[in-house]
Amino acid sequence: MTSSDDTPDRSVDRSGSEPEVTNDSGDLIEVLNDYLDRGEDPPRELLDGSPDHQLTLDALVRFRRLTRELLADDVAAEPARDDGWVATILANIHSESRAGRSIPLAHPSSIADLSISEGAVRGLVRAAGDAVSGTLIGACRLEGDVTEPGSPITVAVEASVFWGERIRATADHIRTAIESALLLHTELNIVAVDVTVTDVHLRRTGQENS
Amino acid sequence: MSLSDRSVPRPLDPPGSLPRSLDNAPDGILASRAADGDPRAFEVLVRRHGPLMRAYATRMMGGTSESDDIVQESFIVAWEQLPTLKDGNSVRAWLMRIASRKAIDRIRLRKNDEPLHDWDAEAPTSQSPAHRVEVASQRERLTQALAGLTPTQRQSWLLREVGGHSYEEIGEQLSIPPSTVRGLLARARRKLVEEMEGWR
Repeated sequence: MTSSDDTPDRSVDRSGSEPEVTNDSGDLIEVLNDYLDRGEDPPRELLDGSPDHQLTLDALVRFRRLTRELLADDVAAEPARDDGWVATILANIHSESRAGRSIPLAHPSSIADLSISEGAVRGLVRAAGDAVSGTLIGACRLEGDVTEPGSPITVAVEASVFWGERIRATADHIRTAIESALLLHTELNIVAVDVTVTDVHLRRTGQENS
Repeated sequence: MSLSDRSVPRPLDPPGSLPRSLDNAPDGILASRAADGDPRAFEVLVRRHGPLMRAYATRMMGGTSESDDIVQESFIVAWEQLPTLKDGNSVRAWLMRIASRKAIDRIRLRKNDEPLHDWDAEAPTSQSPAHRVEVASQRERLTQALAGLTPTQRQSWLLREVGGHSYEEIGEQLSIPPSTVRGLLARARRKLVEEMEGWR
């Protein structure tokens, strides 16, 4: 028995199922760990019970932290690689799965059947919104029956605005830009463009794994 | 656009490359765009989180040989499942979970393929002696301490402390009851803390 004989009185007695010599210290570790998992500080009385208790807590906290830092260090230690791995991933994803509904376009010939995919329209909306200085478009929804020509359609977009931009003015600019783009490129009957600013973003530094 | 530019000027995007602004986008915006089918937003997520997933996979597997495959498979699954992700701002934790599952799948395969080998006994990839001297001693010691755990203990520890999984989730992934996971983690912690004794 290397550890203190002070058995933490709140722990479940596991000695029956695990007859090992380190049982007391093992139980102590579990009790302390449960406090850490709950985001609580272990009670003072428990830590003051024996110098070992505080040392054990320190070791546990340190190890948990170091494990997380270890991976960040691994990333930092990784030598620069070519872009092959990114290209391989991108070559294996398929945008067709996001095409969405098919939106009809009028054509003078009765035998022509023209349409544009909902996914492509969303792409237009994003491009138009992104072109407004300091903004990035997030989710985009076309509400209404886009498959029926002339149906009233509401465009709902979420946007992130660069820190320091005036949000209301920027939202107006986004709305105008999207309306113009859809008028130019589609025949959708847009009755409203709802812009919800969900984020404010800053310029990111090179350090991603905070 | 006529909006007056009080803020930092928008850098011009060289043709064929990512717009700089998308690099600055928060995860939530990127996840929503990728869910809507924007491969460029997805590419930013891949570059931002891929390296950590690779490091995680390497630690889980005890070597780098399968890390790229795990990361690749994870992102392909992620692309398919992104429309089901509720909170785009938690995309990083979500990606790590997918990477966990992909790593576990391979660990299971190894077990089936090589029942006679001590398939887990290999230590994490060793580094050149010169490099070893340079790295922080704590990191080296932690690596050694983790290498001293049994493979299942090490995986449970990583799933818990890095992947953020609950005991139930770890049990599900490793096909063992949560009570066994608790026991595994208890023994892992005990070993790690004992290891720390030598550090003081």
